[in-house]
Amino acid sequence: MTGRANSMIPNSIIIVGGGASGVVLAAHLLKSANPDLRVTLIEKRPHFGQGIAYSTLLSAHVLNVSAAGMSAYADDPGNFWRWLLERGLATQEQAPVYAPRSLYARYLGELLDELEASEKASGRLRLIREESLSISPTASGVEVALANGTSVVAHLAVLATGHDEVPAAGQGHAIRMGSEADTALDPDRSVMVLGTGLSMVDAFLALEQRGHRGDIVAVSRRGLLPSPHRKGNPIKLDVADIPLGTQLSYFVGWFRDLIRENQKAGIDWRDVVDGLRPFNQKIWQNWPASAKRRFVEHTKAWWDIHRHRMAPEVHARVSEAVQSGRIRLVAGRVVDIAGNEGAFKVEVQSRHTQRLESFDVTRLYDCSGIVRDISTTSNSAVRSLVDRGLARPDPLRIGLDVTANCEIIAGDGAVSRKILAVGPLTRGTFFEIDAIPDIRVQCARLSRQLLG
Amino acid sequence: MLTKKGKYGLKALVHLAQLPAGQLAFVNDIATGNNIPKKFLDAILGELRNAGFVQSRKGKDGGYRLARPADEIRVGHVVRVLDGPLAPIPCASRTQYQRCEDCNEATCQVRHLMLEVRQAIAEVLDQRSLAEMRDIALDDLPVEVKVQA
Repeated sequence: MTGRANSMIPNSIIIVGGGASGVVLAAHLLKSANPDLRVTLIEKRPHFGQGIAYSTLLSAHVLNVSAAGMSAYADDPGNFWRWLLERGLATQEQAPVYAPRSLYARYLGELLDELEASEKASGRLRLIREESLSISPTASGVEVALANGTSVVAHLAVLATGHDEVPAAGQGHAIRMGSEADTALDPDRSVMVLGTGLSMVDAFLALEQRGHRGDIVAVSRRGLLPSPHRKGNPIKLDVADIPLGTQLSYFVGWFRDLIRENQKAGIDWRDVVDGLRPFNQKIWQNWPASAKRRFVEHTKAWWDIHRHRMAPEVHARVSEAVQSGRIRLVAGRVVDIAGNEGAFKVEVQSRHTQRLESFDVTRLYDCSGIVRDISTTSNSAVRSLVDRGLARPDPLRIGLDVTANCEIIAGDGAVSRKILAVGPLTRGTFFEIDAIPDIRVQCARLSRQLLG
Repeated sequence: MLTKKGKYGLKALVHLAQLPAGQLAFVNDIATGNNIPKKFLDAILGELRNAGFVQSRKGKDGGYRLARPADEIRVGHVVRVLDGPLAPIPCASRTQYQRCEDCNEATCQVRHLMLEVRQAIAEVLDQRSLAEMRDIALDDLPVEVKVQA
């Protein structure tokens, strides 16, 4: 059985999920000089370092963060930028560069190849291409059961399963763009996109690439489009400046005032939003439960379009499409989806007039956001932990309940010393943990915590 | 710098933290019990209510109580609401920066050190809960006084 022989070697760690967060974590762990370290990275897709986020091959699908912010290493922020420069894929004068996501997948792939080569003699890194079905604590550590019937054992397992592959239930007949269900489509048919955020923008760009000519209707509660990036300098803040632990309205009032004062001094709001970034996790963690809930329900949509921005060129393209009527943005609520395969009648209630409008569409795309109830996840390993009470959803049910040290918390409140989690799964505790600049910091901290 | 407002606010919260959970206190009782001018205390409690640290009830048997358990309220969080950014001197703040007329902030070593000091202030005050502050107070009293109390 694979891995049995390694079971007694100290510091053996299995990373479940070899997408971006799994690779970033492996890279940080392997910085340790410990010769007995064993890192096993398990990924079900054929390629490591891609996951859902970076598996797109479309050149129009660019990163939403400029290359200068996308290094895999917390202590070497220029790593990705240098990688681009060294290969002639960007020049110093072009900055800020929003590189295609497929290029980022190549960067992570090469990074892992290099690690594999340099660790070949030491045997400290092992890659397994297989789906993980379940994780079980054992007397000496953990056992991860694989879909091929074998299992791997180690002292610790870290979940890095990222975003869910299947849309949340309740989206009716909506499918994910690029999934198997997204079959060939008559380019003159109407489609509806549920969501108006960055995923909708990705869907629009993919439709354009495919030569789609039919109507594109995008619906979300507020119908807000994300803002574009602009070159700037984040303002400097200290934790001593920021109100913590207040209720949400007080914090929002303070933040709006801060933006207003800075704008008076000629500073762009983006520099204020970005200046707050180093403290976002701290702010989130100190809020009472009521403030967190209110934020997710009422303020997050507004926050997201200011905080999670897109490349200026992409924004220009999308805005042009909205102005010309190519994309119709609707602020409202989907109240009914009737019909079946290929012919849907969607009833949308307008946010402003409360009037019902119906749309006949051939396909529905789910771009309603990457946050969903974790207990309904399509990931077998995560699901089996929750089903057996070894893990539980966080109070807001947007991820797994984990400690500030990334340890998962069981149904009865017990903290696991053997099963941990990183990346989007931990958003209930870490709030903004979807993007590489945040994930790499979390991985660096976790590596220090586990290996010293 | 902790102002009178900050000090009174903390005293009022300690007063509330000493009551059984959920019990309301009259503003008058808090004021007289802690030597705080009543009008000033009204304003302070209003701000603490806006920030979500206390709740109030109107009417004859109205009053104030903590909005959350005392071990969930951090002292540093309260001080920021009442006194603004934590800072040992007015120029050592990023958001409420007040320029000193007699020096250049870019080269002022005093300010640079004081920016460091405020981090330390935040570390101490953000670690301590209201419950801890309430209980610590007794440990600082001389033993004889504690025995008498």
